[in-house]
Amino acid sequence: MGKAIVITSGKGGVGKTTTSANLGTALALSDKKVCLLDLDIGLRNLDVILGLDNRIIYDIVDVVQGRAKLHQALIKDKRFDEKLFLLPAAQNADKSVLKPEEVKDIVDELKPDFDYVLIDCPAGIEQGFINAVAGADMAIVVSTPEISAVRDADRVIGLLEKQGLEEPPMLIINRIRTHMMNDGEVMDVDEITQHLSIKLLGIVFDDDQVISTSNKGEPIVLNEKNLAAQGYRNIARRLQGETVPLMNLDSEKKKGFIQRISAWFKKN
Amino acid sequence: MQNVVLKGYKDGYEITLNSDADFNAILAELTKLFAELQLEKEKSEAKSISFDISTGTRLLDAEQKQQVERIVSRYPLFSIHRFTSSVMQIQDALDMIESRTVHLNASTIRNGQVENVNGDVLFVGDLHQGGILRASGNVFTFGKNEGIIHAGYPSDAEAIIIGNIHASQQVRIADVVDIVEEDKIKDSAETVVFVNDLHVLEYTEREKVKMIRPKLFTRMGGY
Repeated sequence: MGKAIVITSGKGGVGKTTTSANLGTALALSDKKVCLLDLDIGLRNLDVILGLDNRIIYDIVDVVQGRAKLHQALIKDKRFDEKLFLLPAAQNADKSVLKPEEVKDIVDELKPDFDYVLIDCPAGIEQGFINAVAGADMAIVVSTPEISAVRDADRVIGLLEKQGLEEPPMLIINRIRTHMMNDGEVMDVDEITQHLSIKLLGIVFDDDQVISTSNKGEPIVLNEKNLAAQGYRNIARRLQGETVPLMNLDSEKKKGFIQRISAWFKKN
Repeated sequence: MQNVVLKGYKDGYEITLNSDADFNAILAELTKLFAELQLEKEKSEAKSISFDISTGTRLLDAEQKQQVERIVSRYPLFSIHRFTSSVMQIQDALDMIESRTVHLNASTIRNGQVENVNGDVLFVGDLHQGGILRASGNVFTFGKNEGIIHAGYPSDAEAIIIGNIHASQQVRIADVVDIVEEDKIKDSAETVVFVNDLHVLEYTEREKVKMIRPKLFTRMGGY
């Protein structure tokens, strides 16, 4: 029986969809069977980031309304043979066409066949959020070091705690700009974690390549050397119960050849 | 007979209703009593009298009270001051205990959440920005206070707040609000907030509680 994890944030633009795509890919790379569920009905993106947008025939609304069977709507990512699947959102519908029970039914139907079902939640705390949370066993809250994102994350954590998922929510701090954090211009990792008082699942550095690879439909995790990719891979390992130390905030500065080599050895 | 007894005290009149008697018998006797009183009254000078109705170990429900009031309202000179009894509903008693207990609260109040406490609260949890801790009584806090603390909700201006509110967003007591700007209030766990005689929020130190709220101070066990 797999585990359903909703990826949410409250605020928009902090990287929920990017996190869903990369975490799903990272889990698939470590030989887990993963289904990504895009619930951002009307503004779907997950398919684009994964480069699967041209393969959509049926979507989640078609499944709920009986126009397609669940397995017909699942899109297989051929790069990870039989490991990564996507259930896309509908583009020409509204979030209110789905009911929480319907989403839960779909998630429950997927769970026996997959190790992980990752649910990409839309921004906001309205119907879309309620739908996304309905079927989840656990939640990952994505925030950036900005105060507005942290504030919204706090609000969302409150709602999640009230919802009473099986496991307490965990935190990913995304788009960390090391120089700003080191200069004390933004809240640092400890401050954010302490403020939100939930367990930190991992941190991801801000990197231009995240955007450029997304544009090509290739999640950044495929590029092993990239720091953001390492962040996502570490998160995937921690999700599977491994103990992985947090990445060093200074590591981005270490551009020297020898340091890079030694860091490379340390990681293994 | 004698299910209804009228007694005079120096501060007024009290009518005691026998709690063992049948209520209809009581009503009949009351009617009679007031008729007699009215006759007597007419002889002397007209002056209105108000009565306390004591029901002993019986609790009158709303309809029974109405029946009694209907009898009295026939006589313009007489009125009922209040109903008293030596017993109360268990629920009322529980509510009273609830509102007089200092509740220990260790919750995490996040952005957008409101924690309502009936009575006083000793808060040891986390109050985040955008969260509201709202008590009908006093707020004593050791917790992390970065949100809004509201004591004496909705209208008890006697309530006070004690604790470190240096980093709070707002403090409110009853209907009075103060916005806590940066560095406006010193970083001390002994800050006391209260509403002064001019109905304005004021800040003071712990030592002053005895002077500004003597009743609260004795209730807490001080001298």
